[in-house]
Amino acid sequence: MSGPRTWLARRLLLGVAQTAAVVLLVFALTEALPGDAAVALAGDQPDPERIAAIREAMDLDRPAHERLAAWAAGLAHGDFGTSLASGRPVSTYITDGFGPTLLLAALTVVLLVPVGVGLGVLTARHEGGPVDRLVSSVTLGVYAVPEFALGVLLVTVFALRLGWLPPTAVGYGTDLLAHPAALVLPVLVLLSRPVCSLARLVRAGMIDALDSPYAAHARRYGIPGFRIRYGHALPNALAPATQQLARTVDWLLCGVIVVEALYVIPGLGTVLMNAVAERDVPVVQGLAVVFGVATVVLNLGADLVSRRLAPRSEVAA
Amino acid sequence: MKSRYALGAVVVGIPLAMALLGPMFAGGPGPRAASFTLGDGHWLGTDFVGRDVWRQVLLGGRSVVLVALAATALAYLVAFPVGLLSALTHRTWLEELLMRPLDVLLAVPSLLMILLAAAVFAPGAVGLTLLVALVNIPDAARIVRAAAGEAASRPAVEALRMQGETWWRTAVGYVGRSLTRTLAADAGVRLTGVLYLVATAAFLGVGVEPDAADWAVMVDRNRTGLYVQPWAVVVPALLIIALTMGTNLLVDAGLKKRKRT
Repeated sequence: MSGPRTWLARRLLLGVAQTAAVVLLVFALTEALPGDAAVALAGDQPDPERIAAIREAMDLDRPAHERLAAWAAGLAHGDFGTSLASGRPVSTYITDGFGPTLLLAALTVVLLVPVGVGLGVLTARHEGGPVDRLVSSVTLGVYAVPEFALGVLLVTVFALRLGWLPPTAVGYGTDLLAHPAALVLPVLVLLSRPVCSLARLVRAGMIDALDSPYAAHARRYGIPGFRIRYGHALPNALAPATQQLARTVDWLLCGVIVVEALYVIPGLGTVLMNAVAERDVPVVQGLAVVFGVATVVLNLGADLVSRRLAPRSEVAA
Repeated sequence: MKSRYALGAVVVGIPLAMALLGPMFAGGPGPRAASFTLGDGHWLGTDFVGRDVWRQVLLGGRSVVLVALAATALAYLVAFPVGLLSALTHRTWLEELLMRPLDVLLAVPSLLMILLAAAVFAPGAVGLTLLVALVNIPDAARIVRAAAGEAASRPAVEALRMQGETWWRTAVGYVGRSLTRTLAADAGVRLTGVLYLVATAAFLGVGVEPDAADWAVMVDRNRTGLYVQPWAVVVPALLIIALTMGTNLLVDAGLKKRKRT
């Protein structure tokens, strides 16, 4: 509460605690396995050789705290352990899937901010008019729809009926930038929820800001509407929206997993789903740490930005 | 204002009625036909193992709706006492002990948590309910805590305390009751989020049998036949969209009304 330094220290401390919690939680996963972890993971083929191999690969003979220390130390060096299914290092899985996922996420975020803010400002300017009512109803409706249902419908309409776009990214490999047509539907689906939420928040913030005394005062001075809107009102309207942007990181991550499954894109989400299906625990753990730490860092970043935009607002820390 | 309610009610009414009443009209399983065919007595065609799509659609909504409702209720069952206790206690260490771990848990993306657990336990419908409830507890508890903190600082609470009323009567009888409106609003918003999460988890194969009669599973499994038999995918997808969209429209109409009164 007192001074920006203290706030920053508290917020950073929370970030560190969250990172530690993610690592601990992910590690606790193997401890939570009922009975002997090696037997449980061997699953359908419980022959002694396989059990011994799993025990060896995961160091199950050592006490839990030693394994945690070794695993955490490995993480710090980028050593995520080895896969149970293939024996390859987990880090190769991560580097293989990283490109497509990063491309999808980056494209989405780059488009999200201008589209969301633009729609928000547009509806706020025409508050109560037909444009506002139409856009607001659509954003409200689409906001809650799961990506897979929307995505499947878009595939049916645009790929099967109209034949404009490829239905999946099958056959394009990891080099998706060379085939932009395959990216249109996935990015559209990924954008659907965050754009709606952002547009609604910006709209609410802009309406408040344009109604405020300082905006009225600026109008009396004869400052052009364009400058009032984008120079004065928008920064104030963006602060709550930035907070929400951090929450959408969570959605983006869920969305990436679903969209990669739906459009068969070989990214981190697909790697994670395959590992879950094969019960390849080291790979699941490695990816979970990557996803979890990414969320913590992005949340931290969004909190810092919204603090910068509106220093007086209380930010949870 | 009324038109907003009507729109939401109509959009959510069709999938909800189908989900709750559908199983009564579904009838017994017919003989299996060839996969992904149209016509021949099946007016929505057949699915990936040759079952009648219309029957699967009638059966497939119940699990989504029931799991979502149970998970929302369960999340509040835990979040309410935790939030209330931490708002009313005068011991800082107890409040920190109750709320700090939840702050930390908020950092873990909800779907990731569910997938992590699925990798180890292979949960059923009950397991999925518990998991979805679990990932909703931190946020719900924070909202209870914030609303209860405001109510607990009112003079009325001070008066109750000085009258020597029991802790239970002050906490549940006064503070708890004054939270109903806030919590009703939050429960609606949370339900839309939970519906989303339950459907998405089922689509990814968590908490359901691979050939279950479930709208989300139908969308996933029948995708292979999208070219020959789109109805097996499009009808359940549309029902899920109507269910989530309608719930959100209805909740929003309720919130708007509350703000005005």
